[in-house]
Amino acid sequence: VSARLPRIGLYLTIVLILAVAIFPFWWMLDTSLKQPVDIFGGVTLYPHHPTTSNYSRLFDVYHFGAYLENSLIIVSVSVAFSLTIGTLAAYALARFQLRFGLNQSALVVALLVRMIPGILLVIPLYITLARWGLLNTRLGLILIYTGLNTSFVIWMMQSFLAEIPRDIEEAAMVDGDSRLTALWRVVIPLAAPGLAATAIFCVITTYNDFLIALSLTSTTQAQTVPVGVSTLIGKIQIEYGPMAAAGVIGALPIVIFALIVQRHFVRGLTLGAVK
Amino acid sequence: MADVAAEQARPIERVRGAGLEKALPYLFLAPALLLVLAVIAYPMIRGFQISTEFYRFGRPLRSVGLDNYREAWHDKIFRAAVWTTIKYVFFAVLFETALGLGLAMLCVRELPFIRAVRLVLIVPMIVTPVIVGLVFRLMYASDVGLLTIVSHRLGGQEIGLLSGETSAFWAIVALDVWEWTPLMFLILLAGLQSMPQEPFEAAKVDGASSWRTFLDHTLPLLTPVLMVAVTLRLIDAIGTFDQIYVLTQGGPGTATRLISIYAYNTAFLFTQYGQAAAMLIMLLVMVMLLMVVAVRMMRRAAR
Repeated sequence: VSARLPRIGLYLTIVLILAVAIFPFWWMLDTSLKQPVDIFGGVTLYPHHPTTSNYSRLFDVYHFGAYLENSLIIVSVSVAFSLTIGTLAAYALARFQLRFGLNQSALVVALLVRMIPGILLVIPLYITLARWGLLNTRLGLILIYTGLNTSFVIWMMQSFLAEIPRDIEEAAMVDGDSRLTALWRVVIPLAAPGLAATAIFCVITTYNDFLIALSLTSTTQAQTVPVGVSTLIGKIQIEYGPMAAAGVIGALPIVIFALIVQRHFVRGLTLGAVK
Repeated sequence: MADVAAEQARPIERVRGAGLEKALPYLFLAPALLLVLAVIAYPMIRGFQISTEFYRFGRPLRSVGLDNYREAWHDKIFRAAVWTTIKYVFFAVLFETALGLGLAMLCVRELPFIRAVRLVLIVPMIVTPVIVGLVFRLMYASDVGLLTIVSHRLGGQEIGLLSGETSAFWAIVALDVWEWTPLMFLILLAGLQSMPQEPFEAAKVDGASSWRTFLDHTLPLLTPVLMVAVTLRLIDAIGTFDQIYVLTQGGPGTATRLISIYAYNTAFLFTQYGQAAAMLIMLLVMVMLLMVVAVRMMRRAAR
């Protein structure tokens, strides 16, 4: 019995911690399904008169679909570009001894991107995009996100590619593949799990970005989901129902993606310092 | 040439051959290099340049040397923002480290549970920060917030955490701790699980207390991982913007106005790009100094 007791205490502690972590989200989901009367009506842990009207208001009145569309296009295009460009570069860095200390540069750049306060980059980018007429366009955001993600892709993929033995692609090249087709047919499939994890990381960071999108866009033409959500919070007369609904819809894709990639999570967040 | 390259059995290849084969790695690298130059290097350099210019109505009027830095340095509001940022980062990271370490020690032996725990705990930190702000709005709001409603139920008053200066500050620290303790936990747990077993078995044989074992073996072995985790958290916490922007916009008064919020307002509300850039470069210098100090200190502690 004496060994049982602390064990039960331990389980209770863990359950309590999980509850603290998850309850705020439940409260948001709960609010999004309540009618306005019930939102102000007091604490109920589940909606007594569930309604989807908050969700339909979100799309009909607040045009949330436009934000979702912008995010979908901007995230998918920029991640696809940065994965292609970044993986090619990572391959060159992982396999060849290059001049100018380029092999070591990837980590430095990846760390630097993480350290530079985002606004410091945003101010010059704002001025430059304004000159090119790219403010408040999807293209402008795509260019910037592609650039920021590329350094992360290079750093992550370099470590994944280095784990793949060279003999495999050299055998393919003896069999008549060129460097590029060997990379495509042999190396990439082997690196697929790493590539997928890297991709999902890029999706999460790009989708979650607020500062850059906030500073460089001004209308639903290019505003992304986080900016759309912030406009709902910023209203003087907050409509809590639709606001909570926006939070639920906005968080959903990210949660699903993250659960897929959870095994690689720590490695990605620490830039590979902890595996 | 080929013979020389073959003799040096390197893990990575010397670039061999001639013409295309020799240029190929550089061709692979070129698009990425161009992008990084355009989106990271160029804005950095322009940022330095902008920080020496005087802006009016969003246009550079003249070069003013280091005046923007001097002005920011003597600006009481900027100094207050620096102080608020330091307090915010210090307390947030302190609590996260302590809680994360405690949790990791608690869970390290509970392997059957760990997958489920990990699954739940990554949610706070991957959900869009703006939405985390929204979630806490629903908790903290003085009219429909969970805290107020519970307090009403218990016969109490409205609770408006975000309308008092002290309470607003601690409310955003609490948000940060809620959001990022899981990261500390996961990193430290990974660190604990990859430790060698021998010293612990030896300590057990010697009959050392668990507290002594923690101080003598766990902590020193964990230091490198702890260093990575704390450094990354410090860097990210210093740049916190989204959650505070949507929750308090830096208010009430200046209670939650971090450097990032003040610089954003200076640039995009008052179009003083030069001053904002100067502040941010000072911030960057602080971050880099902090990194150097942190790495030094922890290296010494590890010895």
